[in-house]
Amino acid sequence: MARLVIMGGGVSGHTAATFARKWLGKEHEVIVVTPNSQWNWIPSNIWVGVGQMTKQDVVFPLAPVYKKAGIDFKQAKAVSIHPDGNADSDTPYITIESTSADTAGQTEEITYDYLINATGPKLNFGATPGLGEGTTLGEHTVSVCTADHAVHANEELRKIFDKAKAGERQKILVGTGHGMCTCQGAAFEYIFNIEHEANKAGVRDMLDIKWISNESFMGDFGMGGLHMKVGGYVVSSKLFAESLFAERNVPWLIGAHVSKVEAGKAHYEQLDGTIGVEEFDFAMLIPPFAGVGIKAFTKDGSDMTDKIFAPNAFMKVDADYTAKPYAEWKASDWPRTYQNPDYKNMFACGIAFAPPHLISKPMKSVNGTPINPTPPRTGMPAGIIGKAVAHSVCDMIKNGADAKLHEASMAEMGAACVASAGKGLTSGTAAAMTVYPVVPDFETYPGTGRDTDYTFGEIGLAGHWIKHILHHMFIYKAKLKPGWTLIPE
Amino acid sequence: MKPEEKNFEKYDQFTLTMIPGAFAKKMRTCLIFQAFRFAVINIKMLVVVSKSH
Repeated sequence: MARLVIMGGGVSGHTAATFARKWLGKEHEVIVVTPNSQWNWIPSNIWVGVGQMTKQDVVFPLAPVYKKAGIDFKQAKAVSIHPDGNADSDTPYITIESTSADTAGQTEEITYDYLINATGPKLNFGATPGLGEGTTLGEHTVSVCTADHAVHANEELRKIFDKAKAGERQKILVGTGHGMCTCQGAAFEYIFNIEHEANKAGVRDMLDIKWISNESFMGDFGMGGLHMKVGGYVVSSKLFAESLFAERNVPWLIGAHVSKVEAGKAHYEQLDGTIGVEEFDFAMLIPPFAGVGIKAFTKDGSDMTDKIFAPNAFMKVDADYTAKPYAEWKASDWPRTYQNPDYKNMFACGIAFAPPHLISKPMKSVNGTPINPTPPRTGMPAGIIGKAVAHSVCDMIKNGADAKLHEASMAEMGAACVASAGKGLTSGTAAAMTVYPVVPDFETYPGTGRDTDYTFGEIGLAGHWIKHILHHMFIYKAKLKPGWTLIPE
Repeated sequence: MKPEEKNFEKYDQFTLTMIPGAFAKKMRTCLIFQAFRFAVINIKMLVVVSKSH
């Protein structure tokens, strides 16, 4: 009998756990450790943040799903990894701390034969003084990163709309809250949903809506931008993104590192060294991501966190982490199997793996402050990587530790993304995009680094329909309803 | 001034991009055209998904 422990129950961890359970016989154990009692379809948090969905629409309890599937569920956060065991035993184990209401704070050791780290990110609000989610982590800005954050964001947004209706001009600032943020797409979608709702509420004329981002150009999205075929032309995402903002009368401030947030004020520094302050009545600024801060220890209890994890606290995998200049970056630097180089029974997937470097061209302000988006690893890539890792682990359990590993390089994988601008089935227009591959490969695709036959963007109502379908389809799949394996990641 | 030209004068940064005209906007919400695009986008996305697995 083998025991697989999965730390994290988000898109990647849930995918890995459910497929591992399906592929492994009942004689093997699958355990999921996640601090959340509910699964959240995060892309729809945007609609919660503008009041078009409730929290209940985007979450469901994990315990009954895992019970039915035969997965052991521990509501807890992982604290440390002991890959060589301890002084008394060679069996590797992790320590966890319960986050369940009835056992909160209690710790436990769980031994494992195989470990998948799919913890997702720590929302690093602390990187920017004053940045928060509006309740426990500061009152100056809001967030849509979790369903609860989004509920609160909508409450604050409604107050702004009420003031605007009363004739009080309001300033809305949306974007990234630090120079090293990723997930520009979520903020991008949120600002257009706010603009759409403001039009519906008849208060658009009383709102000044502004975009602030760490991207060096509009449409970078942490992927160095992309080129797509539109109307017979190959067009940069810069033009695509700028057009969306100009059409909606939303000006932008880019190449900006938000250094501090105070009541109604965001202090920023731009790539050209400009130091400024942007005032706001409502701000939704995405925090930077970091690893969740799990420690790793040797058999004798010495700290070896820096051996297992990169400085940003994400887990090292089979990537080429050699420091090299941008001109020498290659698609082959990116991991293929997500296996830890030191411990072959340990893998990381989704946001939890340490990328070898940025995708976007690295930038620093004239004052030396790094201002560049970090690589996105959410959504479709997170699911595909989680499935590939689960496949590898299952093969190792069934066929031996030398089994051939499954591969899922982000340089050979595409991603589909739909950014809504409203929720209606007959109103509003979404931007539907695909990119292939996520990490540009200039050796295979000289010129743009991507296959322009499969990298495209389009604006229209059809994107809204797709977004609705994705919402229901992925929640259906995550609940393991009949036929769930037929739905691709 | 045509409606689509109004925003160009609001900010300097808007003048260097493109803003859709009435026809492009109409097609974005035209149910028949969008039903066709829905099929096309879905096929394209399925191809990308299949190439990624």
